[in-house]
Amino acid sequence: MISLYKVSYKNILRKKTRSALTIVGIALSAWVLASLMGFNKGYEAALNKDIDNMGFQVMLMAKGCPYEAATLMLKGGTGLRYLKESVVASILSEPEVERITPMLMQAVFDPNKGESGGISAYLGVDPATFPNMKTFLEFKQGKWFTDPQSFEVVMGYESAELEQREVGDKLLIPEKNVELTVVGVLKRTGTQDDGTIFLPINTVQKIFGKEGEITSVGIKVKKEADISKFEERLYTIPDVQVVSLAQVKQTIMNLMSTAKVMVFSIAVVAILIAMVGVINTILMSVFERFQEIGILKSMGAMPGDIFKLIWIETLILCFLGGVAGSTMAYGLSKVTEILVRKLLPYAPTGSLIQLDVKLICITLISVLIIGLISGLYPAWRAASVRPLESIRSDIN
Amino acid sequence: MKTTTRYIFSIASICLFISFISLSSVLVLISSDTVHAAVGCDLNDPDKDVARLFPDSTGYKTVYMSIDKQGGEPLLEEIQKRLGDQFKGLYETADVPYTVYEIYKGKEKTGYIHGVNQKGQYGGIQVFLALDMEGNIRNFYFQKMTSRAAKTLRESLFGSQFVGLNLADFYNYDIKTGKTLSPGKVDNIKNPSPEAESDFRAALRATKKNLVLMDEFVFGNRFLK
Repeated sequence: MISLYKVSYKNILRKKTRSALTIVGIALSAWVLASLMGFNKGYEAALNKDIDNMGFQVMLMAKGCPYEAATLMLKGGTGLRYLKESVVASILSEPEVERITPMLMQAVFDPNKGESGGISAYLGVDPATFPNMKTFLEFKQGKWFTDPQSFEVVMGYESAELEQREVGDKLLIPEKNVELTVVGVLKRTGTQDDGTIFLPINTVQKIFGKEGEITSVGIKVKKEADISKFEERLYTIPDVQVVSLAQVKQTIMNLMSTAKVMVFSIAVVAILIAMVGVINTILMSVFERFQEIGILKSMGAMPGDIFKLIWIETLILCFLGGVAGSTMAYGLSKVTEILVRKLLPYAPTGSLIQLDVKLICITLISVLIIGLISGLYPAWRAASVRPLESIRSDIN
Repeated sequence: MKTTTRYIFSIASICLFISFISLSSVLVLISSDTVHAAVGCDLNDPDKDVARLFPDSTGYKTVYMSIDKQGGEPLLEEIQKRLGDQFKGLYETADVPYTVYEIYKGKEKTGYIHGVNQKGQYGGIQVFLALDMEGNIRNFYFQKMTSRAAKTLRESLFGSQFVGLNLADFYNYDIKTGKTLSPGKVDNIKNPSPEAESDFRAALRATKKNLVLMDEFVFGNRFLK
C-alpha cells in the first residue's frame, strides 16, 4: 500500500517549478536565520578574542589622562601625564596579576607634516614583557628589538606604509634629531597597533628625558581572579586612573545591539516571506486538487488523513528548504561575514559567524516548526472539503 | 473565495519580498568599504590646500584612480618603463589608490592637483603637483617630509624651480643616475641642501612619477614618446 509520505512527495513533484521556488524561499530564510544565530555567537567570541589579544584586560594610567591617544589628539605630547616606574613593582606583587608591561607614550611636533605641522607619536614598550603579552603580533619583515637599549623601531603595518619604511631603513625623530633603525614591520592586525611606532621603553626614556617615568601599565589578570575587586584595590594607588577593558567590551556590545536589531528585522521579514510562500503554495495545491480530495474522501479517506497528507507536504518542503538554507549558511559563511563586516561600525578580527552542528539543528527545527504552523491553514482547508460539493464544482 | 485567498497570499508574498529587498539594500547602501587597501596620498585639508595651490579656483572634484583598475600589470610595466625605474618595496604597488583633484573656475576645468608617496631617507615624502590643463607644473608642494633638510626643501624657493616644467622635460632625467641625459630644464633645479642629496633625488623621482601617472590617467599619454 502506498504511504502518505509517498503521496505527498509525488504531489510536490507535480508542480516542480512552484515547489522549487518555495524551497528557495524557505532556504533563504533558513540561511538568514542560521547566519544570524552564528553571528550572535561569533561576534562575542571574536570580541573576547580581540580583548585577549590586546594582551591585557586592565590599563593603569595617570589620573586626568584617560586615554593616551585622545590626549595626544587634544593636547599633543605636552598633555601626557606620567606614573613612576616603581608602580610596576607594586602592582606585580598583587596576587591577581599574571603579567604586566609598562609603556611610555611620547610625541613630538613635526612642522613638516602638512601646512601647519602635525604630531608624531612613539610608544616605548618593554622588550622583555610586551611581546609575551601580544603574542598575536606577527612580523611581515624582521623581528623585535635586538637590545633593550637599542635605537631601533618596530613599525605597525600602516605606519610603515605611510612612512614607506622597510627593515634596515632609517627613521628620524624630528624634534629630537635622533636616528633610529627599522628592525621589524608588523603584519596588519586591524587594531591600533597598525598605526603605532614601537621603540624600547628605555630608549624612549633616554631620548625624551623621562627616565623612571611611564604613561601606562598594561595588566593581564589571572583567569580565576575577580577583576572588579582587583580594580578597586588599584584605585587605592594615588593619582591613577583604571581603564577596564570589560567596560570597553560592554560599550561595544551596546553599540552592536543596534546593528543586531537591524539584522534581526531582516530575519523576521525573511521568515514571514517564507511562511506566506509556503501557505500560498500549499493552498494553491489544495485548490487545484479540490475534486481529487473530494474523491479521496468519497472513497473513505477521513479528514485526519487529508490533514496529514497536506501537512506532510508542507513538512517535506520545509525540510528540503531548511537543509538547503543551512548548507548555504555554512558554505557561504565567509561571504556573509564580508557583508556583515561592511555593516558594522566596529568588527573584531577573527571569525564573526560561527556555525556548528547545534546551530544547524536549531535552524532545521525552527524551519520545521514554521512549516508546521504554515501548513495548518491549508491542511485544515483541505480536510474540511465536502466530497459532493467538490465533485459537483468540477461539473459546474 | 478560492481566487480571492490566492490573490491575498500572492500580494502578501510580493509585499514581503519587496520589503526584504529594500531592507537589505538599505543596509548595503549605508555600509562603508572597509576592505584594506594600500595607503594613498590625499591632501590633508583639501579646501584650504586647493585654494592655496590654485588661488583662482572656485571648486574641485575628487577622482580616484589606480593602476590596477586603469590597466593592471601591462600599465604598471609601461609606467615603470616611462619612469625609467621599477616600483619598489612593499608600498609602491599597483593597488595604491591615487587621488586626482580636478580644479574648477566656475564651470571651467582649469587644472589638476595630484600627489604621490615617495620613499625618503628618513620617512615617507608626499609630493603634490598642481598642473594646468596642458600638464605643466603650476605649483610644487611637499605635504610631508621627514628629513634633516626638510625646512630648506619645503621653502617656496625650492618648489618654484619646478614651475613651468612638464613631463617632456623630466623624460630627460635619469632616475637611476640622478643626471639628465642631455642638458635641459631639469638641470636648473638645484639642491639647496647637499647633505640631503638622497631626499633631493627622491623629490625628483616623485615628480617624474607623478607626471607619468597623470599623463596615463588624465592627459591621454600626451607626452608619450
